[in-house]
Amino acid sequence: MSSLIRLLLIFVAVQLDTSLHLSAGETVDFNRDVQPILASHCIECHGPDSATRKGDLRLDLGDGLGDDRGGYRILTPGKPEESELVVRITHADPELRMPPPEFATKKPLKPQEIETLKRWITEGGGFEQHWAYVLPRRPPLPKVSDESWPRNAIDYFILSRLEKGEMSPSSEAEKATLIRRATLALTGLPPSIDEVDAFIADESADALEKSVDRLLASPRYGLHMALAWLDAARYSDSSGYQADWERYQWPWRDWVVDAYNRNMPFDLFTVEQLAGDMLPDATIAQQIATGFNRNHRINDEGGSLDAEFEVEYVVDRVDTTATVWLGLSAGCARCHDHKYDPLSQKEFYGLYAYFNNVPEKGIDGRIGAAKPFVEIPNERSVAELKKRKVHLSELEKTAEAAVGAEAGDGKVRLEKLKKEIKWLERHTKGMAMIMQELPERRPTYLLKRGDYQQPDKSEDIPPSLPVAFKRTHLKEETPRDRLELARWIAGPNNPLTARVTVNRLWQHHFGTGIVRTSEDFGTRGERPSHPELLDWLATEFTHVGWDLKAMHRLILTSATFRQASKVDANVASRDPMNRLLARGSRMRLSGIAIRDQALFVSGLLSERQGGQSVKPYQPAGLWEELSFGSGKTTIDFYEQDHGENLYRRSLYTFWKRTVAPPQLSIFDGGGREACRVRGDTTNTPMQALNLQNDVTFIEAARHLAQRMIHEGGQTLASRITYGWRLVLGRKPKSDELDVLINAAARHCERYANAKEEALRLLSNGESSRDDSLSSHEHAALTVVALTLLNLDEAITLE
Amino acid sequence: MTLKPHQCPTTSSSKNSPTLDLGRRQFLLQSATGMGVAALSTMLGTNSFATNSGGQPGIPHFAPKAKRVIFLFQSGGPSQMDLFDPKPQMEAYFDQEIPDSVRMGQRITTMTSGQKRFPVAPSMFKFNQHGNSGQWLSELLPHTATIADRLCIVKSMVTQAINHDPAMTFFQTGSQISGRPSIGAWASYGLGKENEDLPAFVAMTSRGKGGVQPLADRLWGSGFLPTTHQGVKFRGSSDPVLYLNDPAGISREVKREMLNDLGALNGKRLEAVGDPEIATRIAQYELAFRMQASVPALTDLTTESQNILELYGPDVTKPGSYASQCLLARRLIERGVRFVQLFHIGWDQHNNLPTEIRNQCHDTDQPSAALVKDLDARGLLDETLVVWGGEFGRTTYCQGDLKRDKYGRDHHPRCFSVWMAGGGVKPGITYGKTDDFSYNIVENPVEVHDLHATMLHLLGIDHKRLTFRVQGRDHRLTDVHGRVVQELLA
Repeated sequence: MSSLIRLLLIFVAVQLDTSLHLSAGETVDFNRDVQPILASHCIECHGPDSATRKGDLRLDLGDGLGDDRGGYRILTPGKPEESELVVRITHADPELRMPPPEFATKKPLKPQEIETLKRWITEGGGFEQHWAYVLPRRPPLPKVSDESWPRNAIDYFILSRLEKGEMSPSSEAEKATLIRRATLALTGLPPSIDEVDAFIADESADALEKSVDRLLASPRYGLHMALAWLDAARYSDSSGYQADWERYQWPWRDWVVDAYNRNMPFDLFTVEQLAGDMLPDATIAQQIATGFNRNHRINDEGGSLDAEFEVEYVVDRVDTTATVWLGLSAGCARCHDHKYDPLSQKEFYGLYAYFNNVPEKGIDGRIGAAKPFVEIPNERSVAELKKRKVHLSELEKTAEAAVGAEAGDGKVRLEKLKKEIKWLERHTKGMAMIMQELPERRPTYLLKRGDYQQPDKSEDIPPSLPVAFKRTHLKEETPRDRLELARWIAGPNNPLTARVTVNRLWQHHFGTGIVRTSEDFGTRGERPSHPELLDWLATEFTHVGWDLKAMHRLILTSATFRQASKVDANVASRDPMNRLLARGSRMRLSGIAIRDQALFVSGLLSERQGGQSVKPYQPAGLWEELSFGSGKTTIDFYEQDHGENLYRRSLYTFWKRTVAPPQLSIFDGGGREACRVRGDTTNTPMQALNLQNDVTFIEAARHLAQRMIHEGGQTLASRITYGWRLVLGRKPKSDELDVLINAAARHCERYANAKEEALRLLSNGESSRDDSLSSHEHAALTVVALTLLNLDEAITLE
Repeated sequence: MTLKPHQCPTTSSSKNSPTLDLGRRQFLLQSATGMGVAALSTMLGTNSFATNSGGQPGIPHFAPKAKRVIFLFQSGGPSQMDLFDPKPQMEAYFDQEIPDSVRMGQRITTMTSGQKRFPVAPSMFKFNQHGNSGQWLSELLPHTATIADRLCIVKSMVTQAINHDPAMTFFQTGSQISGRPSIGAWASYGLGKENEDLPAFVAMTSRGKGGVQPLADRLWGSGFLPTTHQGVKFRGSSDPVLYLNDPAGISREVKREMLNDLGALNGKRLEAVGDPEIATRIAQYELAFRMQASVPALTDLTTESQNILELYGPDVTKPGSYASQCLLARRLIERGVRFVQLFHIGWDQHNNLPTEIRNQCHDTDQPSAALVKDLDARGLLDETLVVWGGEFGRTTYCQGDLKRDKYGRDHHPRCFSVWMAGGGVKPGITYGKTDDFSYNIVENPVEVHDLHATMLHLLGIDHKRLTFRVQGRDHRLTDVHGRVVQELLA
């Protein structure tokens, strides 16, 4: 591998920046060309943080730079040689030259950067606000040479950028690939063979549009879309921290799925989650929605203080809300003024004050929820419980009369029943934690160094927005409570929410956002690869009434999305990360989609929706090793479920914060400890072990094999082709088919001589098998099916 | 070819099935030369065992003293004054209120803040000096006493947190609130790995007989670093790494053939679509296959000599015991694992400390000392840093009923003891000093950030320059703190 690494390193060296370099005749664009230089080299000492600011100079704002500072000006428009800024960055004496030696040795200004700064001042030296803090304006569609390619507005922006780089888009993906891509992207499951065939057969011009509409209408859409939101909202079935108590917060999760499926407009989705409780005559559902800001971890460790953790919860709400809607890293300003973005420490506590008014306790959460919460009856559990209790009393009567073997049998059934009853009793209700407001506003004090023990009680800080937003964008009065804040966040005067949200949609479909750092739109976040496209999409989003399904439809039906993902060596050497989208994205599926797909193609998947989370297979001992191990909490021990609950969609898999579900964790699932809007996609041997050896996939493989035999026709080739298509959608090529036909034959021979071994393979998992099938044939195809589920292509959205 | 029921199809021969090796190498080369690099984040962002040996450019920043770390984390908070920090002066205060001049109204936990009295509980255990260095150690640690001259004992550790969860999270990640990478993940990120077939960072947990405190994945997690840097958990079960064992009914031969077929098919796809990520995937499957053989060999302690087994004590043969994990730690280190982190549960001794601490010491004293001796005998101690310690110390005053031989102690963040050995630390010294009650530090406090900075320093890393940018800020293990404690360095 090492030679491969070396070669790849060479490619890194020649990797092209996706931003266009300033060319000779072009005017300097402050946000594109100048601001990144200032942010990277100057702002740390000449920025928003008043405590570390040097020389009374701020280069994050343009104010007062032209003032006479006693014989010199920082900036004299048009005259770089008379601008102290240029004088100092080009000074011959290293002691006087900026950045100062301790910074310059690590990160000197490049000659090209100095040149850009000079040109900028020559051209007037104008400052603009950081692009993300300026309201998006709808740009005109750019001109393109190849008018025949674009299908909708997105494509003009993508193509125009490609043409500037003398690149051209890829041809359209094969239809089987395209329908699998669209189906996985919108529902988290692959298409059925019929759906693939119907799509291929449909030669109408709007074949994809029709399929996308069908997929958007499927209830699977909401289940899939909710996943990223759950990560962002740090949703979990346990409270985290030390004991990690169980919580019954699933009504909130079901609310999210339902909201996506009903296509609730995103502005309403926002307002209800941030402040549904404060709406007039708030319904139970609107209150449940506010669970968003109660999903944070809650501590109940003996010996801890309420005051300490009350602070943590409020900080978490500010951080999470700012990241999810505003793409801002507010957390830095908890302890000191933000070093790079216009958020002072005091302004942080202005935001804090919006969320600091909940009648809650810092130490709480033992009973399945922490106050305040609402209880939601779980009707299915209640009904099941009733049924079983009747059954129990009947069984008990017969047990009294029974003798001998019959009595023993009855006892086993009795025990099983009692266990089920115990479980159901625990799940007769969800307890959705919600936001509420105290009748009187609780005072908010700035905490020195962010420490709960050091409040500055000289001033009660009212709820307030940072000046940067107030000054330029807020036409109405500053919102004074959480509901007004929510309305501002989802309103027309906020420059960020629409951009941040469409960027995450883009990230969902292409793997990387237009702004790669989807969690950070601040001055140190990465510049958008296509700034105009981002603004066009943001304005489109509000224009269509914050309609998420409409935005998905727009993206999926673009020519950009339809491109084949085949990697062209020439293009790849210039744009290795495919930021310019000269081809479709090729992305590994999430752990959740990988498991769900395996259950789906094998026919095991239960599509039952909602209710309490479930406990599918998991290696023994994982929870016990780390918990109290004494049964102190209801989840010290992992009590695996049986039957249907083993095969529910992974959205419903019980998420214990201190021990994340292992398969999902191995596939980069994150920990749900804190807000996460962007994850990793790794490629590790642990993943290979999981897919080959986890009982989940072995059991899925034997059921997939069973389907291949039952539904795949009479020949080995037809059966393997059938399995192949269930997993990959497309038909196998003949050389691909040959590999697996040979494999099946070899495995069959082997298992024919080792029937016990075949039966052992076929007994993986708790579901029964069709005994009428020949065991060695079934076992051989199980290995083939497992091979299919392990294919790179199977776990990749191509 | 129509199949008759229950009959295997005929095949040319398994020998004609596509063989992998040559083909695979060819694919790898093609993918490398032929294109660039959608997989860059994987290949260079260190997303796999096999392909990441690199770490970060420029690291180590200077010549390291230690190549590897074994961190013996004692979860729950071992009592410093019963183990390392003798305070004969406390005798005279038995059952008397701890003086206000000592307590100074500092925060205590709500488990004892309601107590009417805060009586001094002197340790019932005898202390003696050991070795040429004359290090003071309690009678609870007879084996540790035999390595006294190799130990660098720090008696002036101080932490910011008073309860377990925040204190452990702080001790492992430099932050009380979860979300930051653990120290092992930082080491993996900075230094990469030495062994292509094993992870850079391995974590193991074991459990004593009382004083249980739960642990959490985050303590060996990668936080905001790429997920590959999270500690891979080795477990005492028959499946030492998750999903390592083949499922029932799939033999090694079947698995090998399956991998060949998989490699052939993945190779064809690589040719068709050109994504180098597929080449990585092929390599990872091969590595996984090798791990299935190498990990059980690694965790099989029966290959150790009788002398060695005896050195670690009788528990060494019990899978999942602290003793077996100490020995396993050495075997991992020998194979180039960068950072081995043990967590031993059971030091949270609020009540009846004397009995519980005896149990804990019985389980941990001999194996900890054996590990140091064993490393030393193999010439590995010089380049391996061993660290022993918990998240905080325990209180001078008694929690609950007080007798000479029965007392409890609450959490105490203001002073506690850890020891280090090997890997560039000064042997046979004691650093720092506490007051007569082992309550406050009177000399040379060492913050957790300082310990982290020092550990990284020994690994050749300037803690201020090991950074990762998140939300615009360059984060480090030591946040904006940390000082390398020069006095501890050899």
